[in-house]
Amino acid sequence: MNPKPPTPATFRVEDAWRPLPESVWNEETAAHLLRRMGFAATPDAVQTALRTSSAETIANAFSEAAPMAMPEALASFQATAHESYRKIYRGLTDREAKRMARNELRQRDNQLFSDYALAWFHHARKPENSATEKLVLFLQDVFVVDRQVVRDAPALFSMQALLREGCRMEYPELCKRVSREPAMIRYLNLDKSTAQKPNENFAREFFELFSLGEGQYSEQDVKEAARAFTGYRARNRYEFFLNKRLHDSGKKTIFGKTGNWDGDAVVDLTFEQPAARTFLIRELIRFYLTVAEVPEPYLVALGEQWAARDFDLPYLIETFFQSRLFYHPAYRGNLVKSPIQFYLGLCQELHLDVLPLEGRLLQSMSVMGQSFYSPPNVRGWLYGEHWINSTTISARRQLVDFLFSPLNEDRLNANDRRDLQRAREEGRAEFLVTEERLAGILDIEPAAIARHLTTYFITPPFRNTYKPVIEDLIAEAGNPQKAVRNTIIALLQSPAYNLC
Amino acid sequence: MLPLTRREFVRRSAGGGLGFLAFSGVAPSFLTQSALAQAPAPERDRTILVVIQLAGGNDGLNTVVPHTDDHYHRLRPNLSLKSGLLDLNDDLALHPSCGPLHRLFEEGQLSIIQNVGYPNPNRSHFRSSEIWETGSASDEYAKEGWLGRFFDNTCAGQPGAETDPTAVHIGDIMPQSFLSRDTHSIFGLKPRGRVDRGHDPAELAYEKLLQADHGSGSASYLQHTMMNTLVTERRVDQFIRGYRAKTNYPGTKLAQSLKRVAALIHADLETRVYFVSQGGYDTHANQLNNHARLLDELSGAMGAFQQDLVAHGKDDQVLTMTFSEFGRRPSENGSSGTDHGTAAPLFVMGSRVNGGLLGTAPDLDLGHNQDLRFSTDFRRVYSSVLDRWLETDPQKVLGQNYEPLSFI
Repeated sequence: MNPKPPTPATFRVEDAWRPLPESVWNEETAAHLLRRMGFAATPDAVQTALRTSSAETIANAFSEAAPMAMPEALASFQATAHESYRKIYRGLTDREAKRMARNELRQRDNQLFSDYALAWFHHARKPENSATEKLVLFLQDVFVVDRQVVRDAPALFSMQALLREGCRMEYPELCKRVSREPAMIRYLNLDKSTAQKPNENFAREFFELFSLGEGQYSEQDVKEAARAFTGYRARNRYEFFLNKRLHDSGKKTIFGKTGNWDGDAVVDLTFEQPAARTFLIRELIRFYLTVAEVPEPYLVALGEQWAARDFDLPYLIETFFQSRLFYHPAYRGNLVKSPIQFYLGLCQELHLDVLPLEGRLLQSMSVMGQSFYSPPNVRGWLYGEHWINSTTISARRQLVDFLFSPLNEDRLNANDRRDLQRAREEGRAEFLVTEERLAGILDIEPAAIARHLTTYFITPPFRNTYKPVIEDLIAEAGNPQKAVRNTIIALLQSPAYNLC
Repeated sequence: MLPLTRREFVRRSAGGGLGFLAFSGVAPSFLTQSALAQAPAPERDRTILVVIQLAGGNDGLNTVVPHTDDHYHRLRPNLSLKSGLLDLNDDLALHPSCGPLHRLFEEGQLSIIQNVGYPNPNRSHFRSSEIWETGSASDEYAKEGWLGRFFDNTCAGQPGAETDPTAVHIGDIMPQSFLSRDTHSIFGLKPRGRVDRGHDPAELAYEKLLQADHGSGSASYLQHTMMNTLVTERRVDQFIRGYRAKTNYPGTKLAQSLKRVAALIHADLETRVYFVSQGGYDTHANQLNNHARLLDELSGAMGAFQQDLVAHGKDDQVLTMTFSEFGRRPSENGSSGTDHGTAAPLFVMGSRVNGGLLGTAPDLDLGHNQDLRFSTDFRRVYSSVLDRWLETDPQKVLGQNYEPLSFI
């Protein structure tokens, strides 16, 4: 259905990263940009985009975002967390008392983590924040940390805040900052690494997963780099400091260069390696464009430009989203939506608030395979077809069903009732599709409904095959109101809607 | 009622339901082929592995109890078990709740591998589970599960090549053991309740959209997986509801999960790996009652499952093994419980196991809060299962060779 993906023979490397000509900036290309850069292409957003250029649309998408405020309860927990933990470890001698106090603190942390997760969904759902938060998701899948290891909601919040800031940084600088984040220090065992016994975990993943990729460094490089990252610690739980007593300041040889390298110097040496020019670009393409291999010459070409701009991330992002390669017609409806995109896209397209029932939302995300800050392992989520299996498909379908069913309030548990009550007070309780919502399109004739739905919800490659099916479903039904509802449900569960 | 074969299912529902999927011009070829082919599926008699996860860290010392060892009673003044024990030999006995497992042991259908663990043990649930499920060393961060790598090595990789799932798990979340490089057809179901969606007014619309031409690539992959899921949900639901177990399964979640596994094995699915999980083993407090209940559930479920397999003549096809992320500390703690420890025994059950106790019991000559030193590496167990049961080169899955254990 789609044209073949570009190769240097059919699509010149020199043209790949040049900006899309404004003459082909139209509803279809704008929708493509919005679906990939954010979570959905609503008709309003497409029209807004068409009033400006692609370049401006991209720039606005990132500049209009607000940083996420730390939830108040989390901030006050953070203010006392260090002292609270210290009291337990220093103040209590009885093992049982210690354990109980620690468990209590951890439970509080868990609850605050869930609240933070929900607050993030609210934040990311706002269209003005979506592009940035999606980029944050991308960076979180590079700089993976796992809440079950870190077990510290404020540290996880801080890590995410850094990545959000990082969207505007030079990439090597971001790598340096990440190596100083308490969550990362804990996750990859830098806090265990000393001059006497360097722990290689961080150094290895830095090369393999953050900067170069497997096979682009030697075991010797890992060993020497591990020495350079010794002594990285968190003070008062949340502040970085370099413990000079534990740091190995001796000579190290990394990528054939010898010196008294510290961690930052390792990062700089790494970005002199040719593989560092293409590594992140390859990841970016897998995340935003296609999981199929893109011919190397394209990556090399963009990598050279990016390196010449000192690995500036905004330059990379803007060049990428403006490029002719990005808009190549092979890349429509070819990428499986992540569970987060699936859900937030539904919210935006159906004009729904984020589900305030915290337990239910987080459980649903987890069964769909993308539990907030809980990737399967250090490599992060694999994206693409890996999202899809019978369990996750059923979970996606159930989520759609849920959004289209009336809420049975009698069956909610106490927590859900509390969440719902609060949402109503705050005026964000429109999280289900009611019958009235659908009334608007009932008077239209079947062919027009089919055209409307396929334009609104799915990408071009599937429109012509889906349209007659939808038209039949509505035309043949005895009860058009039910038929439209069921057709929309089915459409949102279909293969086409799960792709972007 | 006899189990439905795929062909029968398609034939029976040809007037409605799924029939049109199989016979419409655009149905994926695997559906039409398997529906029309007369030949039985090729993989029917292959060996099957059932893995039971004891999540939370099972207390090995109160499971296989060294009741004649004075150190055991010294380390556990309140928690050591003294009466009602089920003797395995002169020195070791099973927990009093393990009647059915004890019977299987006496019949030679249960092997107990003692003191299983790994070097430099990690005491975090999360990390130690990851180590066990990925089959890696404690300083190694493997990205695929050990069973996932088995699928990668043996299965075609693309769902659509066969209707039956490569692997089935009972529970909401896919186990980490199944994580793989390639994508495979993994099916998950709940321990109780309907498997398919029952009466769903939007289902017809969904089926019709699924039949549209989706071309190739991810769209076709999604289409196939969705069709496959739909077919499998309904088939599995029929198998489970039509299944007549030949033993009384207890009403526990684990027993009901295993009953579902038995139903699917009986239905001759081509699936070779099943994964079920029992939680609650993190017995930091009030361990005696809780652990007795857990082992009663485990033993009752495993006993019923094995008996049922025997009665259905499926027992020589199935091997069942347990694992837990760690054992618990030999010294009891101050809340009548035990804290995270290291090694523990695991069970391997089946008509074709050699039975008996394997490996060596842990040395309990330990100071307060010292941990057990494992004597059998868990990857030796995996290696033997892969080599002798699943007939796969263990080196390809585990990265290196481990000395096999002779439990099969």
